[in-house]
Amino acid sequence: MIIGVLALQGAFFEHVHMLKQVVAKRELNYQVQEVRTVAQLNQCDALVIPGGESTTMSLVAERSGLLEPLRQFVNNTDKPIWGTCAGLILVSDQANRTKRDGQELVGGLSIRINRNHFGRQNESFIEPMNLEFLEDKATPFDCVFIRAPAVDTILDSTNRSPPEGTICAPINIKAANARGPVQILAKTKRGDIVAVKQGRIFGTSFHPELTSDTRVHEYWVSTFC
Amino acid sequence: MTAINDSQAPVAGTPRPPVEPSAASNTSFTLKAGLAQMLKGGVIMDVVNAEQAIIAERAGACAVMALERVPADIRAEGGVARMSDPKLIKEIMQAVSIPVMAKCRIGHFVEAQILESLGVDYIDESEVLTPADDVHQITKNNFRVPFVCGAKNLGEALRRIAEGAAMIRTKGEAGTGNVTEAVRHMRTINAQIKRASTMADDELYVFAKELGVSFHLLKETAKKGRLPVVNFAAGGVATPADAALCMQLGCDGVFVGSGIFHGENPEKRAKAIVQAVTHYNDPAILAEVSTDLGAAMVGRTDYYINKPRA
Repeated sequence: MIIGVLALQGAFFEHVHMLKQVVAKRELNYQVQEVRTVAQLNQCDALVIPGGESTTMSLVAERSGLLEPLRQFVNNTDKPIWGTCAGLILVSDQANRTKRDGQELVGGLSIRINRNHFGRQNESFIEPMNLEFLEDKATPFDCVFIRAPAVDTILDSTNRSPPEGTICAPINIKAANARGPVQILAKTKRGDIVAVKQGRIFGTSFHPELTSDTRVHEYWVSTFC
Repeated sequence: MTAINDSQAPVAGTPRPPVEPSAASNTSFTLKAGLAQMLKGGVIMDVVNAEQAIIAERAGACAVMALERVPADIRAEGGVARMSDPKLIKEIMQAVSIPVMAKCRIGHFVEAQILESLGVDYIDESEVLTPADDVHQITKNNFRVPFVCGAKNLGEALRRIAEGAAMIRTKGEAGTGNVTEAVRHMRTINAQIKRASTMADDELYVFAKELGVSFHLLKETAKKGRLPVVNFAAGGVATPADAALCMQLGCDGVFVGSGIFHGENPEKRAKAIVQAVTHYNDPAILAEVSTDLGAAMVGRTDYYINKPRA
């Protein structure tokens, strides 16, 4: 299996580094590679979309001819996907708080995401959380939130029509149905939804790749890949 | 070092070992350095008003840098260059959703306090502005907002990190459109790190003394084979090829100042530089994005925006 890490902009190297550690630790025959072109994407069986600036990533993806291939990749519901922070924004079907149009979403998760949910850099924080989905859930995981988004609404047929100012990805209903409902995996102390899964798509608002704790990467590799 | 060699395989060019969390001594530093990690592989553009900030965001900038005048104008007009008017900074923050950085003068910790209270995402304690203090730098550890600082060599970079800088950039010579100095600074830092990484502890103690830095920080840097924080190129980048050159030399990203808004067709040039930083190892894409950009800024080869200290 080849796990790709989208390397258009942002903290992609940190993910590559973590995934390689997990692959080595579990003695898996997986390769990890950076993805900047359609050819590289087409070699991959799974994809991580890292943190960075979602606006930049989406514009560079579009100009590099990667946006549609990314949508096709995500719409293949057999492929494991993981979006962190900006990556979570990109794999959301809808996003709030974009200041202007022009940013495109890849889509995939039936959620409306709230960009910069917690505020600017001054409001960035680390919250040790007991993540129920980890094998070792008793040891708190240091969740790093940097200008982070959070899930605003889980979308279903009743609330799909977007409020004004929302940007939307083209919806693939067949893929959405195949994935089933969105599961909430983690909430902060004050109740913000910061980790979800739907089918083989996993999304986190926080950055496990900025810690030295490989548990979330191990979870994704062993559960999704 | 194993991680470095191991991760080099998929792409040609200079390896980019991750900025490991051990560099972060505490929670607040993880957050400061973490934002810089999110900016990697991106272009940070100098802007003087909201209108330029919007052009930069549309072009794909990963952040904008608010300043009073771009360096080329500071050179042309002379006079004291200071922090921007807070009104302009607020307008820029309202206009764009990407991170907003702003420059304050070296040693001017009150300008820094003002910028922090405005809620900017990063402060650049910058030699491009007229230094307020020709001896002391700001104690950046005292602030919650992260700082980026310029460096010409490893000693300067590690001293700024010790003071609390969570991101480093080359000084280059801003406003010249000439990349020579940025390249010199990048090569100097790389060469000094390489040298340090071959040294035994007894030699490192002497080298630390020579550089005017702590042994501990130098040893950490030598062990990692890179600066312990994100390192961008800055000062004189004017073309997509300049930006890709800096990336191939091992920078994590690029600042572009006068190079964009002083050339013809700023939007097209800005987009081209963004593409060049992502695809820095792909000459075919670089050729494509370098095509038909119109004239670059004229540039100048007389150096030193502020006379170097004696």
